[in-house]
Amino acid sequence: MGTLVRTLVILSLAGCATAPEPGPAPAPVEQAPPPASTAPRENTAVAGLMESARTDVAAGKLPSAAASLERALRIEPRNPRLWQQLARVRLQQGDFAQAENLAARSNSFAGSDTTLRAENQRIIEEARAGRK
Amino acid sequence: MYALLLAVGAFAVFTLQLDVRVRNEFEGRRFALPARIFARPLELHAGLRIAQADVEDELRELGYRDVPVGDTGWFKRSGNEVEIALRPFVFWDAAEPARRVRAVFDGAKVAAVQDANGKELSLARLEPVPIGGIYPAGNEDRILVRLSDVPKHLVAELIATEDRKFYTHMGFDPKALVRAAASIATGRMQGGSTITQQLVKNFFLTPERTLSRKFTELVMAILLEAHYGKAEILETYLNEIYLGQDRDRAIHGIGLASQFYFGKEVKDLTVAESAVLVGMVKGPAVYDPRRHADRALERRNLVLRETRDQGSITAEQYMMARSAELGIAPRPTTGTSPYPAFVQLVHRQLQRDYDDKDLRSEGLRIFTTLDPRAQQAAERALTKRITQYDKERRFGQPGLEGAVVITDPSSGEVQAIVGGRDARYRGYNRAIDAARPVGSLLKPAVYLTALSEPSRYTLVTPIDDGPFVWKSRGAPDWAPQNYDKKFHGMVPLRVALAQSYNAATARLGTDIGLEKVFDTVRRLGVDRTMKPFASTLLGATEMSPLEVAQMYQTIAAGGFRSPLRSIREVTTQEGKPLQRYALKVEQAFPPEPMVLITAAMQGVVRDGTGQAMKSFLAPEIGAAGKTGTTDDQRDAWFAGFTGDRLAVVWLGYDDNRAAHLSGSAAALPVWGDIMAALLPQPLELPSSEGIEQVWIDPQNNLRGDSQCAGAVQLPFMQGSAPQERSPCVSVAGAVADTVDTTVQKAKSWWERLFGR
Repeated sequence: MGTLVRTLVILSLAGCATAPEPGPAPAPVEQAPPPASTAPRENTAVAGLMESARTDVAAGKLPSAAASLERALRIEPRNPRLWQQLARVRLQQGDFAQAENLAARSNSFAGSDTTLRAENQRIIEEARAGRK
Repeated sequence: MYALLLAVGAFAVFTLQLDVRVRNEFEGRRFALPARIFARPLELHAGLRIAQADVEDELRELGYRDVPVGDTGWFKRSGNEVEIALRPFVFWDAAEPARRVRAVFDGAKVAAVQDANGKELSLARLEPVPIGGIYPAGNEDRILVRLSDVPKHLVAELIATEDRKFYTHMGFDPKALVRAAASIATGRMQGGSTITQQLVKNFFLTPERTLSRKFTELVMAILLEAHYGKAEILETYLNEIYLGQDRDRAIHGIGLASQFYFGKEVKDLTVAESAVLVGMVKGPAVYDPRRHADRALERRNLVLRETRDQGSITAEQYMMARSAELGIAPRPTTGTSPYPAFVQLVHRQLQRDYDDKDLRSEGLRIFTTLDPRAQQAAERALTKRITQYDKERRFGQPGLEGAVVITDPSSGEVQAIVGGRDARYRGYNRAIDAARPVGSLLKPAVYLTALSEPSRYTLVTPIDDGPFVWKSRGAPDWAPQNYDKKFHGMVPLRVALAQSYNAATARLGTDIGLEKVFDTVRRLGVDRTMKPFASTLLGATEMSPLEVAQMYQTIAAGGFRSPLRSIREVTTQEGKPLQRYALKVEQAFPPEPMVLITAAMQGVVRDGTGQAMKSFLAPEIGAAGKTGTTDDQRDAWFAGFTGDRLAVVWLGYDDNRAAHLSGSAAALPVWGDIMAALLPQPLELPSSEGIEQVWIDPQNNLRGDSQCAGAVQLPFMQGSAPQERSPCVSVAGAVADTVDTTVQKAKSWWERLFGR
């Protein structure tokens, strides 16, 4: 009784809802250089979430990857690697404006980690090229 | 003869009409399910700063019992450990199964999180606390269940008590009908309703008790039985039935009632528990097990006895159930929401993307950003202080009002909203809807604009706090006074902000140009037209506490603007993701001036108008903020942030009376109470290659060193610091100092990278 109607309404609702997560963009993204050898051991919760984000990226589940990174950022909001990974996901999704801004945010916590900064710069340039 | 034909014809038409109505409505009518709103889930991990008592409180709020009962839904404390039997929960991204988690605490910190076998878990996500819903008409709330999920014994009890011939009758019970007719004849109309009739009554009819309505009910019940099976009717009945009231929220259906009274799913109800619910069908208020435990118990035992007499439960089952306790969950009643002001904000943000009708009927699940701990801290602090001020000042009715907004400065997530002195009040929400003059809260925008021009302004640039008059055609002359009614001559820029000097700020703002300042305010995220008068600089502009939070959020996030959000995800009732509200950042300012303005705002708290904060927070927290007080002290504000939270507090009267409360004396203590309760993280200034830290001798605002009396270390954009050395600098000291700075820089870089 009514279950079908309910399902239909919900399906149509799903259709109407704006999808803020754009689908994967065709542009392939280079893998980031491995972290510097001096890299500190991350909080295990953060490390776990980063790992699941990587798995999701590999599987093409970009919105899910972004969500894991946001979860990690709630634990370590000043971790420049998390901001950078999120920038990379947005770049891959073709959200160039966010990619550029997130990479800039990563820079604001990067201190003098030149490797990290260089990668952010690369993301920013690629995002700018993508916007044109 | 004609009369008889006419009567038969009329009856046929009547029946046909009812038949159409029964079929249309029974089939077309779906249960309107409220959108369910959840707080943020608490994610336990080693290193999380949270007190053990706060975790236990959150579990209690979830309806978990503090002794092991059954498989899930309880926690057990032993010393500094808490074992939690988590219920399963469908999150937007994954379904978490029922499982055991053990959290070990060390002071106000989680030391370890483990599974049942003692294996380390990197992260354990608890169920999110439900914080209300967006309800259909009548605030009807229900959780739909399928008949297959309902225990057989519950159905047996229902049938034994309400309608023994349910499976055999055609919608009505002739014997009962005769009895009912007899009772009508004696003028005392009464029951004899089958389950089908009860359903018809609840579903289609108004509650008037007339003969014609009784007749309509009877015909409709027969029609319903003709079209639908017993199982379908029973399932609908179990979902429809009214089973009590939670303040303004009506508890409908056996699914929600199981949650509401026993904190469990319907399939897990025991024989005794389901008998309590079945007993309530007769009168949910009379047999409310929370308010009338004795009556509920008596009624339950009657239900059990009748069920046994029908042979639907064994004598053994009966004896066991009879000797069981009522077993009602201790969950506090909350009505439609314990946090109505926050839910209001959520509802408004949802209305941008969803039809209100869908929100009130589709059973959507809304995952929000509310942090129950922050919310409770805000409510407690505001209530405590308002009560105190009311008592001290005796201003009469209506009393002093207030509002609080708390956000996460790095993401813009709204963690708490208090809309007035009565946090449970579901009306006027001052945090969102009260636009009040912001007073000196606007000053950081003036100083930020100045500091964006390092060639003209640094933190130590002398600013003139002499008398100032602003002349403009078409507007009266304007000459701002200082709070202490004095002028202070030349003062360093950071002191002018720390002491909130009006004359100095007005002069500075008009020197840079009003338009530039207004542009800064806009880029900070405020979308309001600002009047082109110098008085606007001193906060003649009106904003809601939420808008102020947005403005300060951009400062707290180092110039990265994130729109304030109260929602993370929306899913369907079944958990299928519909929409995610992702974190968005936009760089609105370069990093360097943000470092300077944040340092200046730390100065406000350290030794300016906010220095009373030292009785709330340790100086190491390095909180940054600003007080605000408007003309005649009508509004008292404090807005500021620590390393992990931002809060805005407003106090004043709805009718705009003079409150005679200042931002520093009245709003600051509320802010301080809130932050102190939330174990704030220290605020660290992000280092930037464009910034250097320089020791300044406050006697002359020249370059000093750590050995100078009262010297302070201040950030400057590269090349903008004073070159001239103060006489206090010794040659040896200068050398030692250089080393010092390097060490400090390296350390803070190291700490940042490690997130510690």
